[in-house]
Amino acid sequence: MIHWETIVKRREFSVLILIGALVVVFSIFTERFLSINNISNLLLQTAGIVTASIGMTMVIITAGIDVSVGSTMGMACAVSGLALTAGLPALLVFIVAIAVGLIIGLFNGALIAYGEIPPIIVTLGTMNLVRALMYQVLGGRWISGIPPTIRFIGLGKMLGIPISTWIAGFLIIAFTYFLNMRPLGRYIYAVGNNQEAARISGINLKTTLVFVYALTGALVGFAGLIYVARTGIVQTNTGMGFELDVIAAVVLGGTSILGGRGTVVGSLLGALLVGIIKNGMILLNVPALSEGLVIGVLIIVSVLLDLLRSKR
Amino acid sequence: MKKFWDFVIENRSLFLAFVFLGVFLVLSVLVPGFFTLYNLTNMTQYGVELGLLAFAETMVIISGGGGIDLSVGSMMSLVAIVIGVLIGRVGIPPLLAIPVGLMCGASMGLVNGMLVSRIKILPLIVTLAGLYVYRSLALIVAVDPQFGPNPMPVSNFPESFYFVGQYRIGGIPFQVLCIYLPVLILLHFILTRTGYGRKLYGVGSNEKAALFSGINVKNIRLSVYIMSGILSGLASWIITSRIASARPDIGTGFELQAITIAVLGGVSIQGGEGTVLGVVLATFIITMLNNGLQLAGIHQIWQLGALGVVLIGSTLLNQFLIKRRKL
Repeated sequence: MIHWETIVKRREFSVLILIGALVVVFSIFTERFLSINNISNLLLQTAGIVTASIGMTMVIITAGIDVSVGSTMGMACAVSGLALTAGLPALLVFIVAIAVGLIIGLFNGALIAYGEIPPIIVTLGTMNLVRALMYQVLGGRWISGIPPTIRFIGLGKMLGIPISTWIAGFLIIAFTYFLNMRPLGRYIYAVGNNQEAARISGINLKTTLVFVYALTGALVGFAGLIYVARTGIVQTNTGMGFELDVIAAVVLGGTSILGGRGTVVGSLLGALLVGIIKNGMILLNVPALSEGLVIGVLIIVSVLLDLLRSKR
Repeated sequence: MKKFWDFVIENRSLFLAFVFLGVFLVLSVLVPGFFTLYNLTNMTQYGVELGLLAFAETMVIISGGGGIDLSVGSMMSLVAIVIGVLIGRVGIPPLLAIPVGLMCGASMGLVNGMLVSRIKILPLIVTLAGLYVYRSLALIVAVDPQFGPNPMPVSNFPESFYFVGQYRIGGIPFQVLCIYLPVLILLHFILTRTGYGRKLYGVGSNEKAALFSGINVKNIRLSVYIMSGILSGLASWIITSRIASARPDIGTGFELQAITIAVLGGVSIQGGEGTVLGVVLATFIITMLNNGLQLAGIHQIWQLGALGVVLIGSTLLNQFLIKRRKL
């Protein structure tokens, strides 16, 4: 039996409606919006944010935050870019990128869980530190001329849909299952809802926290690989501001900053919403300058709608 | 001896004073050109903008309820470009344009504060949205139709505008003596000697109790965001005057540095805790570190890197010492 009322009340539903409305508006006013080319472009551009937002969703569900994901992604890009230009095989680079993210994530998680430092402080610190280390790794130079071995992840297609979109889609399904059906997935919600209660009921708080941040790091490392594969360029400022896009996607998708509530599907929709707005505005020739204005207002409006609905 | 160290640990400001001395000694010995009168006075002017933003974060974070202001950098950018456009393109005298800029900062703070205190949206979300919106507005305002659709910096200021950022009184930079110090004293006075200050700490440490004891929690929360907007405006005025240019991206990244300094200075992210003195010391430490790294010829990105290390290191050390003391 389908409970329509609960579905309509969900945040994901209102985001979906918003996406639908935007798609209609953009396809009426621009000819290219619904073209296969544009849609696959759109999916390609959001794949990285979607991948990273899965991790961020879990972090925020535990009532934490990770502002270091932009730097982590940059670092993963830098290291995998160097490895690729040095001629390492694609599969090895794939592991390297994820390992870089995993290490940074483990570092964050260990400091948060065992050092008992608030997440915003730890990740603010690593954000700055990793950015400086990344500069050191790059030696202040750009990396370009990435060999074509890896570029299939960014540019290749299967059944007309980009490979990276397939992977992001698979991850969304896998983690939806994980968060809803696996014990560890449920622990994440429990920790976010009530840390003390979770601890008393025998959940290992520290392991859960380390796991969540490490996983976020690994996913962000993978997002970095997608970025390198798509653009073929790494600069010192690669990934700067990425954390804000990811957080915006997760928040728009209905994950509560207070913890305990949220879904990765919501974050997927949030990321798509941001992606569609950016894409549509370019097609409509709206100056890119007002992009932030639209996204910012949208964040507030969507939260306001939630508040209004819950009061009714 | 053990008692002495316990006391140091207990007292964040004293702890920071020791860190300050340590960093000062190390830099004086290791970095040539650091320990000169010129450098020591010169250095202070670079810390003023960041120091004011750190004060903004201090007030907001003390107010609790997840209080944080991610939009200070963007507010700074928008105020800078408003002042720049008014003076450089419209031709309004600075004496008129600067108050307009500060009002602009205050109104952005008002919007943030209303959304947080009246509509009860979490500060992280409100100010994240603010970060996007104000940054975007700064870019839009910076567009000069004469030169096409791109945002342009403004730098044709009259000579009088440079006073606040570039002049000295008795060897001490003007902005240190006439803006930073008065703000510091005023905020310290407000927090320690007034009913408002006590209410602010009360709201931050226990909202319910504050509400029941008749404190207007909403207005207190509203006020800190307005203050944050005004302080961002002040910082913006000083930096445009110092570098003689109003750029629409001038404040980018400042929010995180400001939060870092506030937290390093002992402001508890949970609210209700923190002193002006601690934040001032933290500002000194970071400014000094930045200056030392610069003199040593290390790339400026490491200023941020060092900031990260100091932030994590000091918090970790603090936690460790507190734990050991409890045993």
